[in-house]
Amino acid sequence: MPSAEGRIVAAGLTKVFGEVKAVEDLSFTVEPGSVTGFLGPNGAGKTTTLRMILGLATPTSGTGTINGVAYAHLPAPGRTVGAVLEATSFYPGRSARNHLRVFCAAAGVPDTRADEVLEMVGLTQAGKYPVRGFSLGMRQRLGLATALIGNPRVLLLDEPANGLDPEGIVWLRGLLRHFADVDGRTVLISSHVLSEVEQTVDRVVIIAKGRLIYAGRLDDIEGASAGVVVRTPTPDALGAALTPIHMTAKVLPDGSVAVSGAGVTLEAVGHAAWEAHVEIHELRSGSSGLEETFLRLTSETPDAPRPDA
Amino acid sequence: MTRLIRAEWRKVTSIKLGWGMLLGAMALAALGVVAQIASNGVRGGVQLPLSNATVQKSIAASASSAYLFSIVVGIILITTEFRHFTSRPTFLIEPRRGFVIVAKMLVAAVVGIIYGIVCALLTAAIMIPWLGAKGDTIHWIDGGVLESLLSAIVVIAIFAVVGIGLGVLIRNQITAVIGALAYLFVLEPLVQIIPVVKDVYPYLPGAAASAITGAGRTTSSLLVPWAGGVVLLGWGLLFALSGWIFTIRRDIP
Repeated sequence: MPSAEGRIVAAGLTKVFGEVKAVEDLSFTVEPGSVTGFLGPNGAGKTTTLRMILGLATPTSGTGTINGVAYAHLPAPGRTVGAVLEATSFYPGRSARNHLRVFCAAAGVPDTRADEVLEMVGLTQAGKYPVRGFSLGMRQRLGLATALIGNPRVLLLDEPANGLDPEGIVWLRGLLRHFADVDGRTVLISSHVLSEVEQTVDRVVIIAKGRLIYAGRLDDIEGASAGVVVRTPTPDALGAALTPIHMTAKVLPDGSVAVSGAGVTLEAVGHAAWEAHVEIHELRSGSSGLEETFLRLTSETPDAPRPDA
Repeated sequence: MTRLIRAEWRKVTSIKLGWGMLLGAMALAALGVVAQIASNGVRGGVQLPLSNATVQKSIAASASSAYLFSIVVGIILITTEFRHFTSRPTFLIEPRRGFVIVAKMLVAAVVGIIYGIVCALLTAAIMIPWLGAKGDTIHWIDGGVLESLLSAIVVIAIFAVVGIGLGVLIRNQITAVIGALAYLFVLEPLVQIIPVVKDVYPYLPGAAASAITGAGRTTSSLLVPWAGGVVLLGWGLLFALSGWIFTIRRDIP
């Protein structure tokens, strides 16, 4: 059995708030040496999941582990895991440097580490000022600096790119790739915008409405997204023509039809339409972007069965 | 534990709050002392001279009124963690939440002792020249004036710890501060005059504090000083324990 060192595992994680299932039977694994994107629309349960893995929230059922143990049982959590949950965890009147020194003391690392991480995130000049005056981007950087204090092997960052300018996003990408590729650390970053992290991550865990949609390599999802989009005045007829060859047609909000299924190619769809005498105004590849696939994946989720159904 | 205490100490010393509250505590203590001296020891309609040891003791004990600021400091030190979400990195670095609370209580006690010492010194600094100018000797040892000042320090320090306990239980900063002040200023003095509660009154926080210094509210019977200290500290621990059960063990915002 491979070592659990550096691995994040969610096993059947479920969190129920009152009657709302925020997270439902969610299982996935995040391996060291990769940057994994934890994706889903707002309210999909990403933050709740991270909070359960980090021991800040107790799962209704299921477990979250890091290095094979629950967060609370890690021998030195401050030096094993670095995490940021939203870039708002600062006392406004405390300087960035003092904020970091507080957590240097708590994690049991030398105070010089505060200056090191300030430099890593490019806040050396701003370090002596109160966090009150910091922009969202600077707060993101300070949050990341806080997570890096204990030089952790595992990083969990909630929406780290949120509020960063394009230059900042490029910087963050370089830093996170370095952590994964050179240091072999485990990096899990959440986002509700795929394009924001598309070039940073190599693996993705996609959730919607608290449930797992997809977990795996980003490349695979790109291949799977190569559907076909058709514009036709008779979508029903097209659907009827495609059903025998195991393809499904779905009318998109703009009136065009997305064709999915195994063996979907422009040729196959075009041929089926021609044979069935379906009038076609446009026939194009649907792989117009990962973002579209992401939106499709996350919006197609069936609603959770209602308790009274 | 040392790590946590150092971290908590840094939290206090890296912000202005503690200093501002200390000024408030000093102002309140000074006000009480000055008011007592200026009223020239009027007690129960009988005019006692400032040279009287009981009067001097009572003047010294009024330094303890600064506890209103130390309990607020205690409350703010813990509730600010939830208000500004520094509770997240705090409990991420140390998931054993009870240890964090204990460290905070110890640091609050130290802050309270510092507040107490400053207020006691300030009281002495007002009493010595003022009474000296009137030609009255201060009965430091034989009249219990020093003891009174020391007991004020104890009250101020314990209330900082009680503040932490209360803040653990009531995480909302405004609610906890207003609740504590409303209780100490309004509710407890009211309860005092209800016959049924008379028996339990000595065990209430404000009465326990009065028992320590022996100042004010002499209408009801109070506990002996050491018992007052134990009871007051007990309240702090009770709050913290209830907070542990009802909030801290649960999900951290």
